[in-house]
Amino acid sequence: MIKRILSRLGVLAVVLFGVTVLTFFYTSLSPVDAAQALAVRRYTRPTEDQVTQVRQELGLDRPLAEQYTGWISKAVRGDFGNSYNTGKPIIDELSASMIPTLKLAAMALLFTALLSIPLGVLSAARKGGLAGKCIYLFGIVCMSVPNYWIGFMLMIVFAVNIPLFAIMGAESLKDFILPSLAVAIFTSASNIRVFRSSLLDGYNSDFVMYARSRGISERKIAVMVSRYALPPLVTLLGQSFGFTIAGSAMIEFVFSIPGVGSMLVTALSSRDTVTVNACVLVIAVIFVAVNFLAEVINVILNPKEQTKERAYDR
Amino acid sequence: MIGKILRKPQALIGIAMMLTVFAVMIFAPAFAPNDPGKVDIMQKFAEPCKQYPLGTDDMGRCITSRLICGARVSMSIALPTIGAIAVISVLLAAVCSYIGGIVDKLFVIVSNIFMALPPFLVAMTLVGLFESKALSIVISIVVAMWVWNAQVVRTYVLREKSKPYIITCRMSGCSELRIILRHIIPNIFPHLLVLYSTGLSGVIIMISSYAFLGLGLETGTAEWGAMLVNANKLIFSHPELIVYPGLCILFAAAGFNLFGEALRDICDPREG
Repeated sequence: MIKRILSRLGVLAVVLFGVTVLTFFYTSLSPVDAAQALAVRRYTRPTEDQVTQVRQELGLDRPLAEQYTGWISKAVRGDFGNSYNTGKPIIDELSASMIPTLKLAAMALLFTALLSIPLGVLSAARKGGLAGKCIYLFGIVCMSVPNYWIGFMLMIVFAVNIPLFAIMGAESLKDFILPSLAVAIFTSASNIRVFRSSLLDGYNSDFVMYARSRGISERKIAVMVSRYALPPLVTLLGQSFGFTIAGSAMIEFVFSIPGVGSMLVTALSSRDTVTVNACVLVIAVIFVAVNFLAEVINVILNPKEQTKERAYDR
Repeated sequence: MIGKILRKPQALIGIAMMLTVFAVMIFAPAFAPNDPGKVDIMQKFAEPCKQYPLGTDDMGRCITSRLICGARVSMSIALPTIGAIAVISVLLAAVCSYIGGIVDKLFVIVSNIFMALPPFLVAMTLVGLFESKALSIVISIVVAMWVWNAQVVRTYVLREKSKPYIITCRMSGCSELRIILRHIIPNIFPHLLVLYSTGLSGVIIMISSYAFLGLGLETGTAEWGAMLVNANKLIFSHPELIVYPGLCILFAAAGFNLFGEALRDICDPREG
């Protein structure tokens, strides 16, 4: 088990290095000229010389590889440089805006688990029945709308018509209930299906038949089956945490949460490429870390190496 | 296969919804009662009437026409996107399977790196890549999504390749290329249809998110996400302006999801 986790760690290191390169590569692909944009902001109508001067100042005239090594050697120490927009250190703004987004993602994760697990079990137990059909319909509807629209609908019902919640703000945990519920409803729609089919898969497999024939109690069998069925769901839950952070801009806009998603969108539209780089890198690192954590949980749940076929399924 | 689809009510409803969306996309200008871009401040927030079946928005634009033309905007970006993703992912999976060995291993490593970035993040970073805004959206979504789809298709190919009939093919002298083109791809085709049908609904939602954030499309385009962000400030006075575009997204995306999920049940009866 330890050996498996260690080998995953090796892969993780390679992936993390690749992520930094990709992040840098993606933003430098963009035709947006940060120097030009900053010069315009500074001098309104910059001359050719002024643009060149700004470019030298930002270090954007150096070759790409050199820019990358300069950026990454600082970034690993948490120094992302200063924002082109505000001139302040990016790390301060980033850590401040990370908090509401992490709260949102954590609460959404909790709600997603609370929705997907019972509904998945119910739809597996009552397949073909009314409950199963209702959950099927719920799933189709909720995976077909953007999560921020679910947010709007929750807001219209629970903040406008029945004023239970405040319409904006990110002060208390209560303010995060509606946005994270919106995210969770969207995410769990597809999770329920996956969990249901792996549960059914578990109940149909040979080890259950063997356990039944040996007279092992149904409760113990249920534990065995859920251990067998959980890994795909754990993987999905881990992924959805990162997806929530990456796609948080919309839901943050709806509920006026000053999170990292809105910071990223502001930086993108004002061509603040260093801030974009920093945001993307941090989100990607969180995504990778949470996925790794999910893998470790799966290894603990199922210490034995899975068979080839099941490994492909994931 | 077709008989099974026809006997499945979800699939039929899904197909009907898909056809409706296609029809609206193709004949949008004919269906729209008014010009979707025409601003008429005098007519702002008009009640639903004969000329404006769903009323008008805060700039006096006909909501019905904007919703109908929104289908055209969304679908004309979504279809080429999913098409490109389909071609790239099938091609890559086939190449990996054909060459195998080190190339396949390399693909797994590279795709792990690409999959360390959430797709929406990549797409957001890349938007504005080209002069043409529609083209940038297409390319950015393709760059963000190809690896996730290629990974799934590779799994399908490998699973199909491990089936006994492939060994029989090989024994009877089939070339590797022929096995892939004539046996594996036709056999996994229903699975691919599931993947891209549900994928298309994801792309439709993604496009609306772009417009919602004001990244990508021209301002004032009649697009569902853009209409939503425009209606955001009217949540107290005119919540119906938020409801309508969302229902359109729901209708368009649900058609593809229903069809895809029904087809999945048919392909994998064990899971149904």
